[in-house]
Amino acid sequence: MNSQPSVPLDRERYVARDGSWVMPIIFSDPTLYEIEKQRIFGRSWLLLGHESQLPRPGSFLRSWMGEESVLVTRDRNGKIRAHLNACRHRGYQLCQEDRGTGQRFQCRYHGWTYDSDGSLAAVPGEESIYYREIDKPKWGLVPVPRLDTFRGLIFGNFDPDACSLEDYLGDMAWYLDIVLDRCAGGTELLGPQRWRIAANWKVVAENHCGDEYHVGFAHGSVFPNLAANRATPIPYAREIRPAMGHGLGANVFPDEMPPEEWLKAGLGEFPPPVYDYMLRIYDETLRRLGKQRAHISLIHGAVWPNFGMVPIVNSFRVIQPRGVNEVEMWSYSLVDREAPAEVKAWFAAQSARTFGPAGSFEQDDAGNWTAVTRSSCGFESRKHRLNLQMGLGHEERSDRFPGELGLTASEINQRGFYLRWMRDMFDGETRDE
Amino acid sequence: MSSDFELLIPIQQWLYREARLLDSRRFDLWLGLLDESIRYRIPNRALVRQAHAKDFSTWSVERELDGADSLALIDDDLAALRYRVGRLQSGMAWAETPPSMSRRLVSNVMIDSVREGCVSVVSTIFLAKSRNDGRVLFTAERRDKLAPIGADFRLRERYVVLDDAVLAADNLSLLF
Repeated sequence: MNSQPSVPLDRERYVARDGSWVMPIIFSDPTLYEIEKQRIFGRSWLLLGHESQLPRPGSFLRSWMGEESVLVTRDRNGKIRAHLNACRHRGYQLCQEDRGTGQRFQCRYHGWTYDSDGSLAAVPGEESIYYREIDKPKWGLVPVPRLDTFRGLIFGNFDPDACSLEDYLGDMAWYLDIVLDRCAGGTELLGPQRWRIAANWKVVAENHCGDEYHVGFAHGSVFPNLAANRATPIPYAREIRPAMGHGLGANVFPDEMPPEEWLKAGLGEFPPPVYDYMLRIYDETLRRLGKQRAHISLIHGAVWPNFGMVPIVNSFRVIQPRGVNEVEMWSYSLVDREAPAEVKAWFAAQSARTFGPAGSFEQDDAGNWTAVTRSSCGFESRKHRLNLQMGLGHEERSDRFPGELGLTASEINQRGFYLRWMRDMFDGETRDE
Repeated sequence: MSSDFELLIPIQQWLYREARLLDSRRFDLWLGLLDESIRYRIPNRALVRQAHAKDFSTWSVERELDGADSLALIDDDLAALRYRVGRLQSGMAWAETPPSMSRRLVSNVMIDSVREGCVSVVSTIFLAKSRNDGRVLFTAERRDKLAPIGADFRLRERYVVLDDAVLAADNLSLLF
C-alpha cells in the first residue's frame, strides 16, 4: 500500500539518543535521501527568496524547495504566489529563466499558458481539438499550499498541516530580528552566487548551524593567530540553540561595553563611512529591539533544515540539495535596504571576499564537505560512528536570552540538528501518504 | 588602426606572460603586474527573460550580468587582491594546499580602444584546473584596461564574464 521506501528498522543505528554521535551512512544512503525529500523537505518551511526580489506586479523568480522547482511571482494585484514550476499538461518545467518580468508563462512544449497568479489562461486548440471540454480552472499550476513571509523573507511549505512559520521559527525569530528588524527600512537580498559542491546537504547545513570548532583550523589561513589558540573558548561568543534543528553562534557583549569597543570585534575593520553607519544602526537597534539584542552580534547560524547564514559578513544562503551527494549553494548578501549605496557596496564586497565560492573562508569549506561526504560512501568507513560529544552535558541557560547555550566552541547545535533529523525522519513515518 | 595593430603583439605577450605566471603559481610576481587603482570584478550571471525574443539586439549578455550595485563573485581592489594572494601562502589555505594543477589558454585578443593612453583589451580565457576532486573547466571573456608604464603595462581594470549561471565548481580559488 505504502509505495514510499521506509527507513530501515532500528532508529538507534543512525544517531545517538543524546546526539553525541552519528553514522556516516546518513550522508550517502540514497534510500534515506528519498525519505528526506518527503519528511524533511516536504514538511519544513523553506526559504524561497525575499520580497525585494519581486519589486512590482509581474516580477518573478525561479527558486527551489528541496528538489522541487518553484515559480515565485508577484501577480497583477501585487500578491506573492508560489507554484510548482511544472506545466499541468506534460509536467514540463514551465519557467526556464532565473528571474524577470512578465504576466504570462507559456510552456515551450505545447504552449499551455498560465497567468502570474497560476491560473491556466490559454490552451492551444481549446476549441478545435479539445472540443471546449477542458476545464481550465481545474488545471492551474499547483500552488505551494503554505506561503508566508518573515520580515521580507518568503518561505514556503508543502505540508498543508504544518505549524505556522512563526511557531516553526520559535525563538530563532528573536535572534533573526537582530539582523532583519534592526532598522525601519528592512532588508534586501543581493545575489545569489550559485555553485555546486559534491557534498550531502546535511554536512553543509550542520556546519552553518553549529561548527565554530573548525574556524580556527579550517580557516587558519584567515586567522593565523586563532589557529594556534583554537582550544581556547572565544570571549563573549556563545553557541545558542533556540530549538532543535535551529542554531546560531553570537557574540554577546556586556551591557556596559560601549559599541565603539565591540564593533571592532568583527572581521576586519570597518572603513569610516561603514563604521559611522554601524553606530547609527546600533542606536536604532537599541530603540527598536532594546539593549539586550543591540548587544548581540550574530556570527553564524541556520534555520532547519537548509537555510544557512553567516551574518557577521551579511552572507545568507540556501543549501539546495541536488541528490544525496551534491548541493547547489545559493548565497546572498543581505543588506539594510535604506543603507547608503557605498555602505551596501562595502557589505556586498565583504560578503564576496569572505564567503561565496571565491571567499577567503568558503574556498576552503567546500573541500571539507566533499571529503566528509566521500568518506561516507565507503562500505567500511561508513560503518563507524562520528563523534559529536563536545560540550555534551554542559549546556546552560541564561535569563538574558532564549535557548540553550554552549561555549564557542561546542557541538550543542549539531546535536540539535541531528536529533531534529531523527525526529522528522522517524516520527514522521505515521504521516506518510 | 595601424597603431592598434602595433600594440597587439606587446599586449598579447603581456597577457601570455601573465597567464604563465599564474599557471606557474608565481602569484607574488603577478601582483607586480597590477596598477595601484585596479578594480577586479567577476559579476554574477543569470538566465533572464529576453524582452523581445524577435530582436537579436536585445539578447544581450549585459542583461544577464548583475550590476555594480549587487553581489559579485569577486569584487577586489589592490588591497583585497594582495590579501587574496597572501592568504594562499599561509600554509593553511587548504583549497590550494597542495596547489591545483592549472592551465590558462588566452585567445581572441582584440584591442577595443586606446583612450588617454589606457588600452582596452578583450580576450577569451579557457581555464582548466584539476585536483583531488577532478577536473574543472571555465571559459570567460575578460575585459581589461591596461595602463602603459614605459614599454610595459599594468592591469588597471579586469571584468570577467564567466559563461556559467551556476558554477560547476566548488570554489573559485584561482584567478582569471
